[in-house]
Amino acid sequence: MTAAIRAEGLLQRFGAVVAVGPLDLELRAGERLAVLGGNGAGKTTLLRLLATAARPARGRLELLGLDAGRQRERLRARLGYVGHQLGVYPALTAMENLEFFATLHGLGRADAAAAVELVGLASLAGRRVEQLSRGQHQRLALGRAVLHRPELLVLDEPDASLDSEGRSLLGQLFDGRTVVMATHDSALARQVCDRALLLRAGRAAGDPWSLRVVKT
Amino acid sequence: MVAARREDIAVRFLNVVYAVARKDLRAELRGRELLPALAQFVVLALVIANFAFDLDLVSGPRLSPGILWLVLVFAGLVVFGRAFAAEKESGSLEAMLLTPAGPAAIFAGKALAAAALLVACEALLLPAMAVFLGSPISAAVVVTVLVATAGMASLGSLFAALAAQTRARELLLPVLALPIWVPFVIVGGKAVQVAMSGQSLTALPLSSQPLVVMADFDILFLVVASLAARFVLDD
Repeated sequence: MTAAIRAEGLLQRFGAVVAVGPLDLELRAGERLAVLGGNGAGKTTLLRLLATAARPARGRLELLGLDAGRQRERLRARLGYVGHQLGVYPALTAMENLEFFATLHGLGRADAAAAVELVGLASLAGRRVEQLSRGQHQRLALGRAVLHRPELLVLDEPDASLDSEGRSLLGQLFDGRTVVMATHDSALARQVCDRALLLRAGRAAGDPWSLRVVKT
Repeated sequence: MVAARREDIAVRFLNVVYAVARKDLRAELRGRELLPALAQFVVLALVIANFAFDLDLVSGPRLSPGILWLVLVFAGLVVFGRAFAAEKESGSLEAMLLTPAGPAAIFAGKALAAAALLVACEALLLPAMAVFLGSPISAAVVVTVLVATAGMASLGSLFAALAAQTRARELLLPVLALPIWVPFVIVGGKAVQVAMSGQSLTALPLSSQPLVVMADFDILFLVVASLAARFVLDD
């Protein structure tokens, strides 16, 4: 099976501080990786690299068979990302948020409607985001991440603020996709992921639980 | 085949520009954060100028070009500064950039929305100047201000996008934008002076007409901004 993610010697630094790496990582298409670790372990930095939101200081990163440095725009049509900040527009309605991002992806209103339905916000589609709860914001951001049917999902603590119904939604959204998810909830990670990577000070740090740890 | 593909790319680009501009304006109209503050700023600036310069029917129109540009420059700094800073803080700028839309189209949309907000500010400023300062506001003055807005918006938005990547963005934007705006403001001031004096903007030789020089600046700023937007916005 082809590798959805292949990273060799991936390293990110902020000034003199190495935030992540050097890290080798290989994830096959359809696999789901949980990234675990304490605060400041480098989870968000790693996810930003995998989402093409930041360029690594060193190393090679290939996503879905494309070079993450040189083929970013082609890649971005095929990956979905929800970061630590959700990036939703409070003054717009849930539907307007998704319609806007659908336009940026070259898609139409029907795709936005399908996404709002998928994340369980259809009944609130006409309501302004500032009137929705934090968990509903999270759902909306997840809807934005999947509205263009990406092959690779990169999610930074997608379970934050989600109720139990919302958490089961994650399993639905992950279906048939390659997923990298940072979380502090190892029980959820066990439930929805099949591999795990424990980070400590930016480096892989052994087996977090009984799942197979990514070879580094 | 190649022509059709180019047309597709152009349509896609314009769709993104329109969507981004519409989203920004819709959010502003609903949130009503910037426009009321700008309106208040315009009125207060004119009231202060009126008392500070002890303006009368003679000095008012004479000082109008300078006052117009002072208010425009500072209103522009507020409008452009806000265009990117708020989106950077909320993470929505990153969410936009992680789509295949392309940074140049996103930048153009945001610059267009910022320009529209500045035009809204000018729509209040010019009549207010006529009322408070007795400034002669003609079609030529309006055209001059609109030509100035295009250049200010393209370069101001570029610097705002650059400043938004830093922590000291409120300080950095004026430091970056004002020195580059200076030649533009000098020519713009001259153009407004000519327009307010009732002379024809086309009476001078073409190369020394301030409006033509400003239009040249507009084109230069637009080209520079659209070329640099990708590097400024996309890490």
